[in-house]
Amino acid sequence: MSITSSSLTPSTAVITVSGRFDAHQVPKIQKDVDGMLANGTTVVVFDLSDVNFVDSSALAVMVRTMKHCRERGGELILCGLRQPVRIIFELTRMDKAFRIFDDMQQARNALGA
Amino acid sequence: MHIAIVTTYPPGKGTLNEYAYHFVRALRTKEEITRVTLLVDDLPDGAAYPQPEATAGLAPLDIVPSWRFDSATNAWRILRAVRSVDPDIVLYNLQFASFGGTKAAASLGLTTPWLTRLADYPSMVLLHNIMETVDLQNAGYAANRAMESAMRLAGTTVTRVLLNADLVALTIPKYVEILHAKYNTKNVLLAPHGSFEDNAPMPNFELPPGPRQVMTFGKFGTYKRVEMMLDALRLLESDGYDDLEMVVAGSDSPNARGYLDQMKQACADLPNVHFTGYVSEEDVPRIFQAATVVIFPYTSTTGSSGVLHQAGSYGRAVVLPKIGDFAEVITEEGYDGEFFNPADARTLADAIARILDSDERRKELGLRNYMASQGLPIADVLDWYLLHFEEIIARHPKRAARRRALATPSLASERVQPAP
Repeated sequence: MSITSSSLTPSTAVITVSGRFDAHQVPKIQKDVDGMLANGTTVVVFDLSDVNFVDSSALAVMVRTMKHCRERGGELILCGLRQPVRIIFELTRMDKAFRIFDDMQQARNALGA
Repeated sequence: MHIAIVTTYPPGKGTLNEYAYHFVRALRTKEEITRVTLLVDDLPDGAAYPQPEATAGLAPLDIVPSWRFDSATNAWRILRAVRSVDPDIVLYNLQFASFGGTKAAASLGLTTPWLTRLADYPSMVLLHNIMETVDLQNAGYAANRAMESAMRLAGTTVTRVLLNADLVALTIPKYVEILHAKYNTKNVLLAPHGSFEDNAPMPNFELPPGPRQVMTFGKFGTYKRVEMMLDALRLLESDGYDDLEMVVAGSDSPNARGYLDQMKQACADLPNVHFTGYVSEEDVPRIFQAATVVIFPYTSTTGSSGVLHQAGSYGRAVVLPKIGDFAEVITEEGYDGEFFNPADARTLADAIARILDSDERRKELGLRNYMASQGLPIADVLDWYLLHFEEIIARHPKRAARRRALATPSLASERVQPAP
């Protein structure tokens, strides 16, 4: 499992997670997100290309992040969902709520970054 | 967003009232919610619901009695109430027998989410069980196989009707998969049950002085049966456990009125069996904290268990039936306990004894269940619901347009502001 954060633009940040995205990773990710939002980030991209599992607490942190981004006039974007992860999003119908792209390049193109 | 919720609610005693209480408590804290109107069942003898006072920082709450258990006119009354309060969305907090113990009343009531949608109000159902996994005979809904077959057919029809709501939320992944497969539907989704307490404090695993309490909690008489617990108590006493008290906390199921009175007569020779009657919200912690072990004397199950979530939040060890999908469901949720065969009181007595005999095991189960109960808080689950609400409101153009027109700061002013 690893989590890395980077900036695409001054207002757009990318969080890359690998392995399991579950309750154990949530506190660290929540802390990173809170820091980014406090520093002016309005758009957050979660790159999940190397994630093989998400649980309900991971979904909750993504929903919270989307809420906070929208409050700031921004949005949350997801990319690179593998099949087991996509199934969870479909089961919870969160695939209808998030903007989801096949990979990071598509997300960049959509953001013009 | 003004939401109307068709539900039971305390002090009403219908099933799911406890879940509704915690759901509404968390919902009122959400900034997106400007008003909550509960369309609840009539209280007995024309009693009135206490109208909640405005509370700083919480969305206003109105309680409007709009239906009656076992009435055939519920759909009409509820629709009239919906039109009267004119919400942005209507959520139904339901299980299959919510509207009645008679098949006609139960089925007619379940048409209401569809009728609500036809009336152009966004309509979502939180369905706590599905017919496909209920053992109808054991749960007391069908007297024989022929009746069970007929009910399954009717259940399939009623489910199809329910699926005409804009969205149907289920609390267990397996239920979503079953409905996807059987009904080829795209409008069902998983929304976890959620834990009732946000950051509940670590419970005290020590026991209060006095007799050890073997407790069961719920609404009894259909698939929650006391007989086996009484048999198990007799067996435990004959095995030498002479410091036990059995507490039956709760009331009759609406589908089995008079059941607990029968049980009181059946155990008149057991002075250490206590029936609490209906347990009010403020007494719930005391009841759980006094219990050495919480028993789930179910002959069938109808889905995830709110009582199990409560037992977990108070760090209690539990004894559970080895039936149907119950073990699978609770294991998925991270809970554990001692198991028994619901056809054999000896296995129940033995399961209780394993916890009574080992304080270490009791505390281990209590801690595990506490940790499981601290999963996703219901407040987080509600953020999911809010996303779904927005999506289905957008499907009703008139409602969506009205919401856009009303999206002014004046709406937020409905909420009493906290003192500076």
